[in-house]
Formats: sequence, C-alpha cells, structure tokens
Amino acid sequence: MLLVNDLKTWFPIKAGIFQRTVGFVKAVDGVSLTVRNGETYGLVGESGSGKTTLGKSILRLIEPTAGSIFYAGTDITKATKRQQGELRRHMQIIYQDPYASLDPRQTVGSALTEPMRIHRVVPSKAEARKRAVELLRRVGLNEEHMFRFPHEFSGGQRQRIAVARALAVDPDFLILDEPTSFLDVSVQAQVLDLLKDLQKELDLTYIFISHNLSVVRYMSDRVGVMYLGQLVEEAQRDDLYMSPEHPYTYYLIAAIPVPDPEFKKVSHILSGDVPSPVNIPPGCRFHPRCPYATEKCKMEVPFHGESSDHKVACHYDIDFETETATPRYDYLPQP
Amino acid sequence: MCILDVRDLTVNFRTYRGEVKALDRVELRLYPHEVLALVGESGCGKSVTALTILGLLPQNAYVLSGQIIFKDVSLLTISSDQMRRIRADDIAAVFQDPVTFLNPVLTIGVQLEEALSLVQDWVPYVRVRDESSSEASSYNIKDYLLRRNPPRTEGSEIKAPKKMSEKVTREFSKNILKLVQLPDPERILTQYPHQLSGGMRQRCMIAMALARRPSIIIADEITTALDVTVQAQILRLLRELRDTIDASTLLITHDLSIAAEAADRIAVMYAGNVVEIATTTELFRNPLHPYTQLLMKCIPDVRRPVIRLESIAGSVPDLIDPPSGCRFHPRCPFATDACRSTKPIIKDVGSDHLVHCHLF
Repeated sequence: MLLVNDLKTWFPIKAGIFQRTVGFVKAVDGVSLTVRNGETYGLVGESGSGKTTLGKSILRLIEPTAGSIFYAGTDITKATKRQQGELRRHMQIIYQDPYASLDPRQTVGSALTEPMRIHRVVPSKAEARKRAVELLRRVGLNEEHMFRFPHEFSGGQRQRIAVARALAVDPDFLILDEPTSFLDVSVQAQVLDLLKDLQKELDLTYIFISHNLSVVRYMSDRVGVMYLGQLVEEAQRDDLYMSPEHPYTYYLIAAIPVPDPEFKKVSHILSGDVPSPVNIPPGCRFHPRCPYATEKCKMEVPFHGESSDHKVACHYDIDFETETATPRYDYLPQP
Repeated sequence: MCILDVRDLTVNFRTYRGEVKALDRVELRLYPHEVLALVGESGCGKSVTALTILGLLPQNAYVLSGQIIFKDVSLLTISSDQMRRIRADDIAAVFQDPVTFLNPVLTIGVQLEEALSLVQDWVPYVRVRDESSSEASSYNIKDYLLRRNPPRTEGSEIKAPKKMSEKVTREFSKNILKLVQLPDPERILTQYPHQLSGGMRQRCMIAMALARRPSIIIADEITTALDVTVQAQILRLLRELRDTIDASTLLITHDLSIAAEAADRIAVMYAGNVVEIATTTELFRNPLHPYTQLLMKCIPDVRRPVIRLESIAGSVPDLIDPPSGCRFHPRCPFATDACRSTKPIIKDVGSDHLVHCHLF
C-alpha cells in the first residue's frame, strides 16, 4: 500500500547576516520501506533518529527534501494541493500528546464532525452527528460526551477522542506517533487494544512509531529500527526481537529494563550518547558507539540486501553470544 | 535504624475547585545504604511526598497531619532556615528535566563550585593534599563521600581557610564528574548546559547532588526524559554508586521495571496512599495488593511475545472527592463492603512485607 523510496528530509541551518545555509539537519537521510495492506509497521528509534519526521514527511505535513512516496500506486510527492486534500482523507495521524492535539475550545462533537464536513464524507449535518456518536461509542465513550470539552477528559479518553476523529473520514492508513507515551501503563493497554481491534474491523494499515520497544512488539507485524535518519535493521517482528542482527538493535533491546529483579542484564551497555543529526559520522553512522567497529566501518557505508526479509545495514554478521563478527559478502555493491 | 521516617502524612492542596487530598496517611521508612523506589502512576502522590520531605511544597499546599523524622529531627516543625540548611547539606534532590534545573548561563564548573561551596567542612580534609603535594594523595573522592578521615601527616595543622583555592576546587570537581562516569571532565567543567546531551546533564545533576555528601538523595523520575540506552547507563551508575557512597536513595518512578532493576525495596503508591512495601524480590515473587498485581500484568515484557495486554478498568480517581474507604475499591476486582466503607490499615504479613488492604 505504501512504498517509500529513498526519502530525505533535511532542515537547513541558517547562520550569518545573510542567513546563508551553512549546513543541514539531516533528520531523514535516505529511508526506503514498504508497508503492506492491513499490516502494522513498527518504527523504532531514540530521539534524533528521525522517526517522527519520517512519519510527518510521509503525510507531507513536513515537506520531504528528496525521494518519493507511493501511496496505492501514486507518487504523492508530486501531488497537487487538490490531490493532497483528497489524499488526506485516506491518510490520517494520531499524535503523541493528547493534551495538545485536541482544540481546547472545540467540543468533542464539533471536533469529530469538522473533518467529516471538510472532506464531505457525509451528506448532511444530521448524518454527521449520527456518525460522530457511533464513532464515540466505538471508542468506548458515550453520546453525552459530544457536548463536552477536551479538558474534561483524562489522557486516555482524549486519546480515544483523537482516534475517533482520525476515523471520522474513513481512512485506510493511519500514522500513530507515540500514541501511548503520555499515558499511564494501566491505561495504555486499553488504547492499544482499541487500536488493534479497529484495525481488524476496518481493515486499516498502521505505521506505529515509538521508542518503547515492548509496545512496538505488541503492536507490529514488521519492525524497522532507525538510527540517525536511516533504517539500520528491518525484519518481521519476532525475528527482530529474537535474533537481532544489527548491534544497535541488540543493545537497544538489551537496555530495556525488565520487570524481573532476578534477570541478569547484558554486561555491555552501549556507551556514549545519542548523536545529533547535524554532525553525522562518516561511513557507518553507528561506528562511534559500536564495539565491533573496524576501519572499514569508519569509511564505507553499509548497504543491505534488497532480497531478504530481514535487512541489516552492517558490514558484519555478528554473533552476540560469542561476540565475534564475520564480514558479510551477501549484499549488493553500492550503486 | 531508619534514616527517614514518614508517619501518617496527610497533605492537602487548596484549589479553586476544592481541596485536593493529595496524600492520605502515607507511611514509609528509608534505611541507610539502600535504594527505595516509590512507584506509582500519575497523580498518585509520589512527587508530592518528595516535595514534602524537602519542604518545597507550593503555597497552596498544607500538611494536615503526620511527621517526618530525619535523623531525630522533625522536618515539619523546624524553621525554614534550618530546613534550608538540611537541604544544602543532607538531603539532595535530582529532578526529571535537567534542562530546567541547570542554570543556562553558568558553566558546569561554576555550578558545581556553587554546590561545593555550600559545604564548609570538607575543606580541612582536602587541605592536607593542597599545593604542597603535586601528586594526588591516596585520599580520593570515594573516601570523601564515605566520610572517612584523610591521612594526616606528622605535625600538620588543619585550619579551615575562608575560601578554598581554585586549584583544589577544580580537582575536586573533576573527581566528582569522574565518579559519575563523565568522560573528559576537564572539558565539561568549562561547558554550558546546552552543550551537553541529556544524559550528561543528568549526570552533572547527580554530581552536584553528591557533592554535598547528602545522607539522602531523592531522585524524581530522573530517567523519564532520557532515551533507553542512556537510561540504562544512568541506572547502572546508580547501582554502582549505591555500593560506594554513604547515602540512601529515594528513587521515584512510574516504571516498575526501573524499580526492579535499580531498587532494593519498592513502595507502591496509588491515589495518595502507599498500598504495598516490600523488598524488590519479595514484591515480584509475591505481589499482594490487587493494584500491584494488576499493574504488573499491564507491563509488556520485551523478552516475551505478548498475546494480550492487560489493563486496569476505570481511571485514577479525582482526589478532590476521593472514593470512600479504600481509594482503590472502584477498580478492585476483590472489593468488599468493608473496602467501600472503611480505610484499611497497614498490615505486616511477614518478611518485611507491608500491605494496605482489607484482604489481609
């Protein structure tokens, strides 16, 4: 359904009296991925990885700098304003902060019927109201909530309203940008389960963006790991978690605290800080933090094979148990 | 013998909508050399507890009843000057967002110096190895933090000068930064907070808190704003510090997994009550309070593929008009009539495990 090809979103850094562009924040620097109909693609990464920017770029909420995005066969990067308007109906987004994403001066009912009106989804106001009430019920709220304002609801409830709003226009594709990070753990599951049920019921396709690997594991079918603007690994969900191949993925998984005091953690903890996308290291972007880095890693950018289902951007095939790295030969040479 | 004893603490906030009963007869004890985690979701009162201990409650908050005994001093009855002294020397705090708590126009070195200068009594110890010795003596930062006395050379007189020399302060600052595992401390002392990453800033905050050799460090959600890999580093640092310094840590977090990793004992809070306290291993092996049990089921465990995540029905109560009796009863699958009418009392079920529930 969605094909992203070598997408780049760079933000210029301007300095000096003449506001010349002195550099770029390469938030997204060459990402290619495919999302199939009805599946959930999990996008994982820490801050600075570019995952949120990627999500927004796909919807063109932030204009990408280069590359193409094909949605249901059409290249939406080339779409006109009018075509974009049409597309927005099919592609919706749910934001991270339920306290900021709802207009505090708009009633819930109005928030739900407004997009219906704009996209002309329903023929009349009465129809719109009916549909809004149905949507509210579907997300677990009541008709009486139509007349209330966002501040009267809890975080979990607000997020449900955001879901209802996104579904108001009957979309096919949803980008979920950290939808549960602001919510308590006890409420998180309610919202996630709702999203899962809705996906089955309405045959939706999701891109689920999060830094929380456990939640991503619960929600996704395929997972892509981002680091400094690029995908470093992509695989089927269980494959990624059971046998991660890229060292960053491995350490990311190892860093997650586990609710078990007896569990012995991996002795290696990734050193250094998450780097900024302004100064990107040469060669493999991960080499400054990678315990397996070699001279080659500092100079050559790794490129992973297109054919396999489990893609890794690494020069080596690493066995984390024995801590040995063997060079890979099975990938295509750089074009 | 506990170092901090919170008894029967009840704190209310006056708001235009009514009185928020934020803390309801909270009881907990902090012992020397341990890490006690205070775990709870948003609105449970864990931060309010920390602020009450520190004497930093806002204007509209007041303590209705209760006592906080710290080393035989009742913190709620002393003067604000005395409390300020204690905050300077004995109880240190590190908060969630280091950006807000570090002065953006001063370098780290200056801020660390500021923290060090509040402590008057360390200077005599350091003076022993002042300009006279060009090499660092065997007396190091860990000795200082463990309050061991330094080796004294024959016939040397220890007099506390009014102001410690720049060289000594810098040496000390560097050592403290090394202790919190910051690379290249010399350079960091000259940098401003905005030049450092989140993890490094948080370490600086921890360093500043340690500089005053506190007996208690209150860490309020110190890793929430950090990435997972950085969080792992900070938690490992806390574990290592626990073994080397002479202070207890009150670790406040909403994440039970962090508590599992970093804490010796865990206190679970819900809607202003401490519902359960036990050692970490005991709590995970045998969670007794229904809220604790349900909370554990909600946490997705990354090691195992999860089929269905659990959640707790309902939502956190409004503390202006909290539920009668046990505050958890509306969401509790085991609620009885007693739960709805009377407040439970804390019961000791053995092996240092306390529960606040009618079922026991």
